[in-house]
Amino acid sequence: MLADLASSGAIPSLELSLRFAGERQKLIAHNIANASTPDFRPLDVDPAHFAQTLRGLIDQRRSKTGGEHGILPSHSSKQIRFGADGRVTLNPRVPSGNILFHDRNNRDMERLMQDNAENVAAYRLTAELLRGRYEILKSAIAERA
Amino acid sequence: MYSSLDISTSGLIAQRTRLEAITANIANQATLLDAQGRNIPFARRVVHFAAGDPAAKSRDGRALGVHVASIDQVRSFQPRWEPESEFADAEGYVKYPDINPAFEMMNMYDAQRAYEANLAAAEATKAMMAQSLRLLA
Repeated sequence: MLADLASSGAIPSLELSLRFAGERQKLIAHNIANASTPDFRPLDVDPAHFAQTLRGLIDQRRSKTGGEHGILPSHSSKQIRFGADGRVTLNPRVPSGNILFHDRNNRDMERLMQDNAENVAAYRLTAELLRGRYEILKSAIAERA
Repeated sequence: MYSSLDISTSGLIAQRTRLEAITANIANQATLLDAQGRNIPFARRVVHFAAGDPAAKSRDGRALGVHVASIDQVRSFQPRWEPESEFADAEGYVKYPDINPAFEMMNMYDAQRAYEANLAAAEATKAMMAQSLRLLA
């Protein structure tokens, strides 16, 4: 009963999105920290790839349970792995592009800061949506309208 | 989430170390003597970074992040024609540290910007942590 509630509606996909943004923040912080490191190439996982993978998992859940409840199936691709325990593991790629600086680092501070801002915004949005879902659950448990 | 803070902290420490070296270079651009009073001009310090931070507390912090791999001393000097100086050699030249203030200032601005970027990343992580706490409240 409680497991069905905790995996109802959009909660599993929101939780996965939150974990993804949390893991990606490590890569963004890593890229920013190494902006002056010779030979360094930034690491990242494409958020569009995550969104596409998540869409596939939601479709799988919908075909299996109708989409109202149920955990998302585990998944593994080149860049992202969703474990059965809900853990998200990223296997980042090295994006090509941008010019090489004299220290053979192809940093792009503007893009890094944009990634940082976008990731925080995505995290905040997801957390707020999840909070809304949790509030509904709490109301249901407390039998409030 | 804490490891993201570890990573940004490693960037802050690395850039701060770089800034300290730059400050020392600027302060000692005309230093002709070493700490013992010998005529050995100040050697310019150059900080080199490498990815990964062995001093980080978390596993991800050790695998990612940045650390100071070495601080090299550049032992090249600028000879200046000052025959009246007590430190002049037989040909009248005094060895000064090979430090270009314009180059050091440019490096300093670069380190400052990088420090600020790391600070912004740390602030972003803190905002995310605060958001996570709101989920529990």
